[in-house]
Amino acid sequence: MHEYAVVDELIASLLPRLDGIPATVTAVFVRKGELRILSDRALENAFELLARGTRLEGARLVVENVPAVVHCAACAYEGPARYVGGETGHGAIPILDCPRCGSNVSIVSGRELSVDRVAILDDAVAADASR
Amino acid sequence: MHDVRFKGEDILARQLELAEANYRRLHERRIRSVSVLGAIGSGKTTLIERAIERLSRDGLRVGTIAADSAGDDDHRRFMARGALSVNVNTQDDCHLDAHTVDHALDELPLDALDVLFVENVGNLICPADFPLGTDREIVVISVTEGDDMVRKHPKIFAQTDLVVVNKVDLAAAVDVDPQRLVSDYATLNPHGKIVLAEAKTGRGVDDILALLGFECTNTQW
Repeated sequence: MHEYAVVDELIASLLPRLDGIPATVTAVFVRKGELRILSDRALENAFELLARGTRLEGARLVVENVPAVVHCAACAYEGPARYVGGETGHGAIPILDCPRCGSNVSIVSGRELSVDRVAILDDAVAADASR
Repeated sequence: MHDVRFKGEDILARQLELAEANYRRLHERRIRSVSVLGAIGSGKTTLIERAIERLSRDGLRVGTIAADSAGDDDHRRFMARGALSVNVNTQDDCHLDAHTVDHALDELPLDALDVLFVENVGNLICPADFPLGTDREIVVISVTEGDDMVRKHPKIFAQTDLVVVNKVDLAAAVDVDPQRLVSDYATLNPHGKIVLAEAKTGRGVDDILALLGFECTNTQW
């Protein structure tokens, strides 16, 4: 259940960034690399609980999964990772070797975990405009 | 309603910065560091005990950070083997983080160390997303966890470069073929290294240490 620790960091880092935005936040969109060992549902549940008492209370956490992209120094391949499995209902697993030549690869994307954007109501904007 | 975009700074940026600071701190003092992950009872502590004995015999000074939810059993075992050790209780946390390791490093006489082992809390899954700042990471599994252990945790093993299959002496007793673990791992991580070991007796420990970059000169157990 390390999702709680992750969401704790998320909220702590997001709140100061919202200081200049007085409007109501309705959703927080997170980009999560598929190589992360994090459950979407546990993240959503943790957010619902940990946001209570902050201005993010009531907002939804939306997790957007980012596929793995690898780079091969040997043959210069850069693109989607190779996958194994997936037919047993557990989802396909990205493999960290080159789909073209089999060499070791570096990870271009797939390990990110960031707040991409927040959705806000236009209440404060409207209030400003009416002055 | 509209969206406000962010630059996409990592949510765990603070943890990553702390892990990098730990890494720099260890490197400045030329301390080689290894974090050890694995489920409860996989044999992490015993493996580190053997490593302490082996490396001490080669004249290296070994430090340890022993993390557990509660108690100081592992810490005491490491000290009994001659390591300079710090005990960390994570209480309700299921993993170590870089911040906790930073504080543990404050308590260690770093100038007196050549090698540092960080034993994470017994838990295979949760520590995986929290970098600590060590050079290397190994995952210890034991045959008693079943021959499906690797394929049940595919994402972990696809991203782990060194795996120890411990307690191979018990394989027949628990009806497990260690080769299934080996072949599952090869599927998930074609470039990874896997070592069959028996930490209790020291079998496989020299191979593990060699893969971690330690040349053991005294090969007598």
